[in-house]
Amino acid sequence: MISEQLREEVHKCIKCGLCMNACPVYKQLYFEGASPRGKVQLIKKVLEGKLEPSEHFHRLLFTCLLCENCSVNCPSGLKVDRLMKAMRAELERKFGLPWQKRMVFHLLRSSRLLPFAMFWGRTFGPALLSMFAKGGKVGAIPCARIPRLNSVPLAKQYPETISPDKPKAGRVIYFTGCATNYLFDNVGQSVIAVLGRLGIEVIIPRRQMCCGLPIFLSGARKLALDNIHHNLRILAAENVDAIIVDCATCGAALKKEYVHILEEMGENPEPGKAVAHKVLDISQYLAQFDLREFLGPIQGRVTYHDPCHLVRSQAVKEEPRRLLSLIPELEFVEMVGADACCGGGGTFQLDHPDLASGITNKKIRAIAATGANLVASGCPGCRLQIHGNLESELIQVVHPVELLAMSMREHDSPAHNK
Amino acid sequence: MLKENVLQQFVSIVGPERCKTTKEDLLTYAYDAYAYEFLPDAVLFPKSSEEVSAIMQTASAHNVFVTPRGAGSGLGSEALAKQGGVVLCFTMMNRILEINRANRYAVVEPGVVIAEFQKEVEQHNLFYPPDPGSAAVATMGGAVAMNAGGMRGVKYGVTRDYLLGLEIVLPSGEIMTTGTITTKDVTGYDLTRLICGSEGTLAVVTKIFVRLLPKPQTKRTLQAVYDKIDAAGTTVSKIIEAGIVPATLELMDKTIIKALEDFAHLGLPLDAEAILLMDVDGDPDTVEKQAATVAGFCREQGAREVRVSESEKENEQLWAARRSAFGAVARMRPNCMIEDATVPVSYLTSAIKKVLEIAERNNVLIAVLAHAGDGNLHPLILCDQRDSDEMARVEKSMDEIVDYALSVGGTLSGEHGIGITKSKYLPKQLSETSLRMMRNIRKLFDPQGILNPGSFLEDRQS
Repeated sequence: MISEQLREEVHKCIKCGLCMNACPVYKQLYFEGASPRGKVQLIKKVLEGKLEPSEHFHRLLFTCLLCENCSVNCPSGLKVDRLMKAMRAELERKFGLPWQKRMVFHLLRSSRLLPFAMFWGRTFGPALLSMFAKGGKVGAIPCARIPRLNSVPLAKQYPETISPDKPKAGRVIYFTGCATNYLFDNVGQSVIAVLGRLGIEVIIPRRQMCCGLPIFLSGARKLALDNIHHNLRILAAENVDAIIVDCATCGAALKKEYVHILEEMGENPEPGKAVAHKVLDISQYLAQFDLREFLGPIQGRVTYHDPCHLVRSQAVKEEPRRLLSLIPELEFVEMVGADACCGGGGTFQLDHPDLASGITNKKIRAIAATGANLVASGCPGCRLQIHGNLESELIQVVHPVELLAMSMREHDSPAHNK
Repeated sequence: MLKENVLQQFVSIVGPERCKTTKEDLLTYAYDAYAYEFLPDAVLFPKSSEEVSAIMQTASAHNVFVTPRGAGSGLGSEALAKQGGVVLCFTMMNRILEINRANRYAVVEPGVVIAEFQKEVEQHNLFYPPDPGSAAVATMGGAVAMNAGGMRGVKYGVTRDYLLGLEIVLPSGEIMTTGTITTKDVTGYDLTRLICGSEGTLAVVTKIFVRLLPKPQTKRTLQAVYDKIDAAGTTVSKIIEAGIVPATLELMDKTIIKALEDFAHLGLPLDAEAILLMDVDGDPDTVEKQAATVAGFCREQGAREVRVSESEKENEQLWAARRSAFGAVARMRPNCMIEDATVPVSYLTSAIKKVLEIAERNNVLIAVLAHAGDGNLHPLILCDQRDSDEMARVEKSMDEIVDYALSVGGTLSGEHGIGITKSKYLPKQLSETSLRMMRNIRKLFDPQGILNPGSFLEDRQS
């Protein structure tokens, strides 16, 4: 059931409409049902018993990126996204999940099946993808632009505890998330290299599971509960300075969503809160250090895309920019609408490929206008979406930490020290 | 209810995607930014004048009610289907058709969002001044239908002052144009300005020709902080009396200040009784001089502090916060009824006092916001619609505010329009003759009475 507190939220909406201008989905579709205030109206009617939660209502609830722009821009302080998430959970009981999601979530919930699937996925990935593909695309992303899985999962490339070869300056848990572990191992290698250079001991808990966010944002909160409890146990087990995430989405889950879900499901939220306090995005953690002495030059121009789960869910905006600006010779250029959603929205781009592409195209144009050859962004979802829709081979999408690692390698290379 | 065959005709005009009839869709077109809900029978989204014309022909032939709508940010149910029928929603007809620098005009479709249009013309170093608080949402078509005003009214006037001409579709389906693209035009009756502010009762606007100004070279925002709201009101009258014309001149009382600070965290002074937020614009020399003069005036009248903004970003933050006032204040109570009675500017101080007195006497929470420079009050009445006793007191307060405004030569509504919320007051301001003339004009345009029925001109009872 939707909590009393969230139920009251619907009465805060005075329909001023400021959310509509902020909503990337409304800005594509231009009808109220696609807008936040329209959805709030429908949720209100459902809660009042004046509207049967229909298939159409269900579809409208999922015609939403959960980018949180509406919540941030609501002068009445209505937490539209939380209301949407809670309502999705309500509807999941009635409508269940589509089979593709059921299958994928089944994998994400299992600590054995997921590695197994990923192992075979490396070989059979392209063939499997083509099963889902329509017109050469999976969702809004052309098959050819979907990266290949890591040959070995990141966690298997390192021991569980990676100690620095100089005096220890700190000790952190690194929650790698599925994307870094299975898809973008260079991001993980970069995190480990940069932290190592700073003398930080890194623990990668072997038994960490998917953060569960794709599962519970689809409404399947019960299904995600095991992942949540399991991760909270593992993350609380070690006494560390911080719990580091390199993925905006995992960060949002660990910092905020876990607590909300536990509260709203009537579970004890305290373990969630205890962990949430310690979680830092890698950019937040690194911003505490003076990195300049470790950095060498990188040629080129970089722009930064704010992931929704970082800039809005976690209010991290300045740190990644500051880190990028530290890199010698790398020119930092702000793009227009850097904090606008890229249109990926996790599974949104699978459900609404055309709509997603429309939103992504705006982002691509903004990137192109900067003349940058690098787009930095700390979210694998954004990375897939932006890379997938970039037509230019001259622009590369990277995680900010990859640039930092590269810059450190430059600094340490013999050429630099000549 | 719409007959199935009529609905089919509408579908054949706009296609199934742009004709919405599910309960979910209708519920999301039942509201605007005010308090009441009316369910339409269908929502149509035309994309061209021809489609609008065909829709109106069909509606005429079958006597279907049609209510035009922009973004639905209105404050008096003007764009709601008060007696059912079709809502004609223009959000998908939203292209900027031309920006002509040589002759300084632009042509837009009605669904263009005001703020986006402003941003676009500013790229060409031009300026479209009408600037309602809802500009980030509201459409140009809605602004024309309501003759929207806003914060720059004191210097630049309102929507009406920027209209060169219109393309309209009559209820019969005929397409006609009014006005020209020249700034001077005395050929025939000024139908452009008749349509403007007609609240969708005469014709449907399908194209808008607006006059543009050169973009002011620079702008400075001043923020004067007062311990006494009277002093703020008096400052405004003095500034206007002295012949200084700021581009904006906004007043907010302590309730508004607190609500904005809670939302935007700008460091507004929470212990102040009022703030005046002002823009001066023009060429850099004049702006410097004017800013100094205005600041001097404020201090003379007892402002405890006058802050001059340092950057464009700071300007923007302050104004973005001001734009959020309506919603931000609404945090405090479930509902927020916004008034817009307007008085001659020399009465501003007494009007503010009167409003506060009315609030206290009726035991109602009222926050005062005002486009002070043109005497346009925005008392925000905070209440809970679920409490009928409270609502009776709210209603009484509104009656009294209106009576006061009229008693000093003011008007029922400065910029929000009459809609259904103020129609009961209409005879207080307009004579029988005046109302009869208006009703006759309406009959001439819309003999069947299919366009926006239940609007301000009709008695609610009948």
